[in-house]
Amino acid sequence: MQSGKTLSVRKWRSAFSPEGCLDIGQTLGRIYRGGIHPSIRGEVWEFLLGCFDPKSTYEERKEIRLMRREEYIRLKELCTYMFPLVGSGKFITAPVITEDGTPTQDPIVLLEASHEKLLTPTTQATVGSDSAMSCPKEDDKKIIQWKLTLHQIGLDVVRTDRTLMFYEKQENLSKLWDVLSVYSWFDKEVGYGQGMSDLCSPMIMLLEDEADAFWCFERLMRRLRGNFKCVGNSVGVESQLCNLANVIQVVDPKLHKHLDYLGGGDYLFAFRMLMVLFRRELSFGDSLFLWEMMWALEYDPNLYTLYEEPESDPDRPEDTKVKSKSSRQCGKYEREYIRSGAKNDEPLPISVFLVASVLKEKSVKLLTEAKGLDDVLKILNDTSGNLDARKACSGAMKLHRKYLKKVKLEKPSS
Amino acid sequence: MAAYRADDDYDYLFKLVLIGDSGVGKSNLLSRFAKNEFNLESKSTIGVEFATRSIRVDDKIVKAQIWDTAGQERYRAITSAYYRGAVGALLVYDTSRHVTFENVERWLKELRDHTDQNIVIMLVGNKADLRHLRAVPTEEAKAYAEKENTYFMETSALEALNVETAFTEVLTQIYHVVSRKALDAGNDPSALPKGQTINVGSKDDVSAVKKTTCCSA
Repeated sequence: MQSGKTLSVRKWRSAFSPEGCLDIGQTLGRIYRGGIHPSIRGEVWEFLLGCFDPKSTYEERKEIRLMRREEYIRLKELCTYMFPLVGSGKFITAPVITEDGTPTQDPIVLLEASHEKLLTPTTQATVGSDSAMSCPKEDDKKIIQWKLTLHQIGLDVVRTDRTLMFYEKQENLSKLWDVLSVYSWFDKEVGYGQGMSDLCSPMIMLLEDEADAFWCFERLMRRLRGNFKCVGNSVGVESQLCNLANVIQVVDPKLHKHLDYLGGGDYLFAFRMLMVLFRRELSFGDSLFLWEMMWALEYDPNLYTLYEEPESDPDRPEDTKVKSKSSRQCGKYEREYIRSGAKNDEPLPISVFLVASVLKEKSVKLLTEAKGLDDVLKILNDTSGNLDARKACSGAMKLHRKYLKKVKLEKPSS
Repeated sequence: MAAYRADDDYDYLFKLVLIGDSGVGKSNLLSRFAKNEFNLESKSTIGVEFATRSIRVDDKIVKAQIWDTAGQERYRAITSAYYRGAVGALLVYDTSRHVTFENVERWLKELRDHTDQNIVIMLVGNKADLRHLRAVPTEEAKAYAEKENTYFMETSALEALNVETAFTEVLTQIYHVVSRKALDAGNDPSALPKGQTINVGSKDDVSAVKKTTCCSA
């Protein structure tokens, strides 16, 4: 990262009008050239992810923030009511309930929950026979479903970014657990899927207020929740993998043919890259840098409005794309997409092109050395730690342009 | 311990899968076996990862290619795509969490649905070092393994207890199945033509591949 090009605190402050309106256009360029200074990362991310409208004033944002914090507190209180460990500073790594809703007496749970904490109206366990004091089995499916995810969140929280000093503090671990637990209640359709702790962890570190961290994570999930959604036997990310296959087929047909021949036509080997946006391929710092570059490139000034409009489909915010938008306020990727006139097609996220650029980079190696899927995975895993975020981004932009051009040529009518 | 050999110097290549509930220690069992490492700060597995290691069985070099999968139920459809071609499986539970043992039945069913019937399965009770938290008695698991006709072993990836033995046992058993198949077919296993694929079962894709380029042992 070139420090001279980084969005500095001074540059960031000077991008606001006296009332607080943000000229996001000039800011975006800085971000995708040099990233964001760590001290202002959290507040800039809130804009990039659409928590706030850049055209709003300081006053308006203050009000929205307060409202959101109150809403989070209400959500969390409800969760605490259903399961008192939420917000207690403790959490669980073993199930507290069976699939039919019977509370379990797992010794680890009792240890973690220090016993008496669990004895509340909704979780009270009957030891031995039904006693008059206890409540009947929980029958609310939603609550059962939610409680069944809580230990999975705990199992992952204790394995998330543990090399960082920040997570040596128990209170930060439980903060991560709380936010993910509340989210999984808030978005019941998605709940919790492995990988989400990797996505949420930076928010906990960057935004001090837990509610702010929650909403920033929630905005990130607006983009990514489709990947985690499971319908029947399929995981949502498979549709992005399908898109990836189409892109590679267009920009590098030979590579696609080879991967398909090796049995990798489903591109499942790219699962992790798409699910946690390269967090496992890059160091912690580099992945944050990559994320903000991606979001700056993809930035759509109508994001806030799209997310706030209750009637918009959260899965496909682009569908309701608002008519007039100044292209100067758009990220470069978004601008090039609009200019291509490909508005009839489902827009692809930049992450798909990022993975494509990684594959393209390794194309020669994949074509000559990969004799099986194991080799493919090995070659791609070798990128761990030595992937260059900036190079990957410019590679993705190049492929995006190439892709738009080729697709346009193939379908001249659209 | 046998010396580590060059990666491509082997006689047989066997594919194994590691399955079981989330957090039972699959990835650490693998890193203990493949690199003799245990990581207290290990991350959850997203999707599928794999590692390899070669060991000596009789006078042959057997290379194990071990696929490690995510434990969360919702991803099973995706990870099971990697069961294809597996000739061995380590089905792992956590000896300190009984529920992970209760779920073994489901995993076993899934394994049998997706792999060849001749696959060599070992039930592995990991985290045996957590003696004060023991929730699954050895006898209970042993009886279950006998009933289900699988091998059984208790391990500790942390203390490097039985990890080597568990993997070696599975690989040796596969090797025996493979050489028996070859004998049944009237072949001396050591005299197979180069590049011959030995099917452990009936499906073509379930195979142990005898290496094509190098047969010197």
